[in-house]
Amino acid sequence: MQEKTFKQKATKIVPISLGLIAVFWIGGNAIGLSPAVVKRLAGIVLVAMTYALLLAIPKSEFKEKTFFQNLKFKIPVITIIAVIIWVVSGQFGFPIWWQIEFVAFALVGLTYFVLLDLRAMKPEKGQVQTTIRLIGTYALPSILFIVITAQLPQFDPQFELDKLNKPPVKLSGLAGPEVIAAGREVFENNKCFNCHKVFWEGNSDRGPNLGTKQIGLYSDDYIKEQILEPRKKQSPGFDDPKSKKAMPTYYGEDLSEDELSALVSYLKTLRDPTHMPVEGKFPDQWTWWDDATIVAEGQQVFEGAEPATEGLNCAVCHGKDGTPMMTGALDFRKEDNPDTLKMPDRLPDVLLKDWPDALWYKRVTRGVDATPMAPWGMIFQHLYLWKAEAYARTFHDPLDKRAAKRPVPPVPTKEEVESWKTNGLFLDPLI
Amino acid sequence: MDSFRNLKYKSFSLKVLFALILVYGLVHLAPEPFSSSSKFSFVGGPDKVFAQEEDEFEEGEEAPAEGEETGAEEGSTDGEDAAVAGEEEEDLSYLTDIGPAKDHEFKPFSFMGFSNRKITWVAAQLHILFASFILGCPMFVVIMEVMGARRTQGVRKAIILSNVFLGVLIGVVIGITGEIIVGIHHGVLYGLWACAFGAFIVSFLNYFHRLMDVRVSALVGAVFGTLIAIPLTPVEHIETSGIILAVINGAVGGTLANMIMFAKSDFKFERLAHEITKVIGMCYSFTALTGGLFLFVMIVLYQDFITYLVQSFPVLFMVAYPTLFILETIVMYIYVYSWDPLNQQNKKGRHIVCGVVLNVLGLSLLCALDGPATFMQTPPKPLDELMNINEWSRIATSTWMPLNYHRLVGNGTFGGYMVGIIGAYMYLWSDKKEEKEYYDWVGYIGNIIGVAIMIPLPAMGYIFVREIYQYDATIGMYIMSDRESMFMLVQGLLVGTMFSASNIYMWVSMKRIENAQRFFPAMKFGFILIVISATIWFTPRRFFATMMPEPGMDPNMVLPDNLAFLALMISKNTAAFALVTVTFINYVFYTIATKTGKVHYGKINPLGIYVLILLGFADIWLMSWMGTIRELSRMNWHIYKVFKDVTPEKFAPSLAESGFHVTTIVWTFFIIMTATIWLAIKYPKTKKTPAIPATATPQMAE
Repeated sequence: MQEKTFKQKATKIVPISLGLIAVFWIGGNAIGLSPAVVKRLAGIVLVAMTYALLLAIPKSEFKEKTFFQNLKFKIPVITIIAVIIWVVSGQFGFPIWWQIEFVAFALVGLTYFVLLDLRAMKPEKGQVQTTIRLIGTYALPSILFIVITAQLPQFDPQFELDKLNKPPVKLSGLAGPEVIAAGREVFENNKCFNCHKVFWEGNSDRGPNLGTKQIGLYSDDYIKEQILEPRKKQSPGFDDPKSKKAMPTYYGEDLSEDELSALVSYLKTLRDPTHMPVEGKFPDQWTWWDDATIVAEGQQVFEGAEPATEGLNCAVCHGKDGTPMMTGALDFRKEDNPDTLKMPDRLPDVLLKDWPDALWYKRVTRGVDATPMAPWGMIFQHLYLWKAEAYARTFHDPLDKRAAKRPVPPVPTKEEVESWKTNGLFLDPLI
Repeated sequence: MDSFRNLKYKSFSLKVLFALILVYGLVHLAPEPFSSSSKFSFVGGPDKVFAQEEDEFEEGEEAPAEGEETGAEEGSTDGEDAAVAGEEEEDLSYLTDIGPAKDHEFKPFSFMGFSNRKITWVAAQLHILFASFILGCPMFVVIMEVMGARRTQGVRKAIILSNVFLGVLIGVVIGITGEIIVGIHHGVLYGLWACAFGAFIVSFLNYFHRLMDVRVSALVGAVFGTLIAIPLTPVEHIETSGIILAVINGAVGGTLANMIMFAKSDFKFERLAHEITKVIGMCYSFTALTGGLFLFVMIVLYQDFITYLVQSFPVLFMVAYPTLFILETIVMYIYVYSWDPLNQQNKKGRHIVCGVVLNVLGLSLLCALDGPATFMQTPPKPLDELMNINEWSRIATSTWMPLNYHRLVGNGTFGGYMVGIIGAYMYLWSDKKEEKEYYDWVGYIGNIIGVAIMIPLPAMGYIFVREIYQYDATIGMYIMSDRESMFMLVQGLLVGTMFSASNIYMWVSMKRIENAQRFFPAMKFGFILIVISATIWFTPRRFFATMMPEPGMDPNMVLPDNLAFLALMISKNTAAFALVTVTFINYVFYTIATKTGKVHYGKINPLGIYVLILLGFADIWLMSWMGTIRELSRMNWHIYKVFKDVTPEKFAPSLAESGFHVTTIVWTFFIIMTATIWLAIKYPKTKKTPAIPATATPQMAE
């Protein structure tokens, strides 16, 4: 029987593969497989199809090449590939070091393919040549290993040694900033950065970014509980089984009382006066503006029903349904309301619907001069004030009528965080 | 005669060399203050000796000077601390508090420029490399011996035992993979029982007569293996996944048992096994020697710690370990020296049984010593109760079995690649055509077994690290994300090198197989996938060497959040899966090619031989590197959070320094191994004795 031609084989392989992909696509969606799994299955079929097509190529004599013949063809090809890799990876936003890495691996690929097509080595002419080649086989990779390990990024062991030689955290005799610095050290030493970012700093998004979540708004007891019994209450958006068991439960045994207190002191400083707290696991995040639970809690605060803010009742002036009960009180129902004229830092041309988070925060925590709008931030916990603001917004922008969520603000930079400490955005004492 | 004279001449030179080293050692090996000539001197050795009271004052004086190097701010803080210490007698006991052994004394030594830790490092690493050789190669040798033995009644009886042994090993590997990766409860027990009993039943039934072919054997193994595994595995509810795992394992056990029982014996395997055994004999002595060296080094350099450790395992170190060691030694020598006599008496079966017993003893020894090793890394919690729990609980730590699995599979791979190296060496040292053909084949066998066992190796490593994370995520993070993150990057590079070299060897080998070139286009596609996978495996989250940037590091060298997934486990696992799969596919092509085309042994492109050597070298380098990573993950603890290391070398040395040190250790090992292979296999051939034929020699019928 005559063997089938490549074309005949290909006309079978390609439709079968594409059919399989279609089945996975439709079937996967029908039985509720996640798109990631469907894509993977499709990827596997594509790889298998490529293999099948390549195996269907008719036999041909494999031609080995000399080193130079090899380079003649491969250098231009690899140059084009390297340029494409460089440009594409740049477009994707890879920093330059990663672009260099990818191109370096393209060169590794070149070496590979040169080796594959290379003409066979000549047999050794005697023991001397054997020994030279043998030593070369050991020496070449050894030199490579030594050079690579020497050239990759290094750390200075002295830094670790200094850390190890530092005394354990003892709070007695330390002042506020020193306690916070000690707490930051506890945070670093226990490698919390591995899972938690603090604004721009950190390693991964396994756990909440404690900066943008503003863990500092919460009470000491709550923060302590989250450290000692992390499984008790998951942060919103971290309810998947993997996240549920991600945080170790041994910190109660590992941390001394002083270390824990210092750590909490540090965490209490993690706030952002310019943005609403952000919840959720990257990239599926949202702000409190769009968080129905927070808005509901905010309503309790707004209407004076929240025990933690006893004495605060926004509805007294702003109205339970948003209709102002007092002259001059801001009408939250009107999205085109301007900022107050009574404050020197007013933003005259910005309408209520466009108010930046920082303005909301400032007006509530600092109050408005010469009005009954007191600086509530000096009396009540800011955690609840942010919630009340999230609710207040719903008067002109109801939750159920929003077409899209408000965009999650970019993570504040180091400079921005530094500036909050000096530009008077934070109150003293910070509640 | 000339060669004899040469040897005599060489041995004289060797003696002189040894004598010089000895004299040098005697002159240099003396307690001395930790001097700046140490390799670690660049981190300011002398001013950090806290273990001895009098050094503390010197330290205070020198601190500001040191601060100039590391940052003025730090220096001034140190200086202030010292001043406070003088006035208020600051409590510095935290620096010397090592936990249970308070009355310790630490003496820094320097030998040939090596400090305490580095001397220990060399001794431990060399010991473990030789130990891996004598544990890995016997596994290989018994398989080879079985493959080479004519199927007499006695051999068939022995094969029942060896099949069960193999069934246990394979069952455990498949089972643990199912348990951890897929999440099957008690998967390891399902795997172990099903595979072992599947192999046992099929071997037993086939012993009397060839009752079943491969398919029926697989079916019988699957059915009976599963039926036995289910009641033996203590689970409350039998789950389908467990049954499927048992069926797979039973089928694998049955199939292998059938294939091995009826494999056509080939004398080449017998010869290979015999030759490797000679090397094992010599390496056994080196294992004992380096083990002794390691112990003595520990007694001199870390006396307090080794005393504590040995005292924590009284039964193990006084009874179990010596017993196992002596038994293994006896069985080892019986195995080596009874080879020819038992062959002549036509009692091959007994010899195979001896080999299986040797392996069982070797594995027991490995498991026994993994106890203290994992005790140091993951001592059982709660730590307050550590000395009140029984010795067995101290051995069976949470990472004990994972390390056992990892080292079992790792040693198997090691065995395969070492045989590959032996084949390559002997190929290069042989002149005759038949010899070259034979050793080309040895290299092929070594590689094929090495690759086959290497395929589940990443899964075993994953299981081990996963357990470490569950014990204490801090250790895991120290390895994966902090000071050892760049070490892991190098590990990725080495794994990539090994998989690449393995595939290049297969490619080069296939050039000497007729009709094999039809696979080349597909294999080239596989090579592209390998390069892509290696790139992903190598891609780091950060191009600085710690979790958070330290002074002197560029904090901007971090992947942006939207691209960070490339550096996470999900991407690494996909890359590892791709590497393993492509290698497996090439392995299948290679196997098909050898079965369907004529292999021209002895005509391999010499590149293949050197790639084989590179493969073994990279494997041993990787093994030493992983040992280094495991050791450094202790941070500043001899026993994690129990027994502190308060010596000046309590920190992790830099990547550059570790890379260089590991390379020197691996070179030392290879120089000794090269000499051993030459002495054990090549040198006897230089004597004018009748050459061993490479083809089958009739054995007497039983």
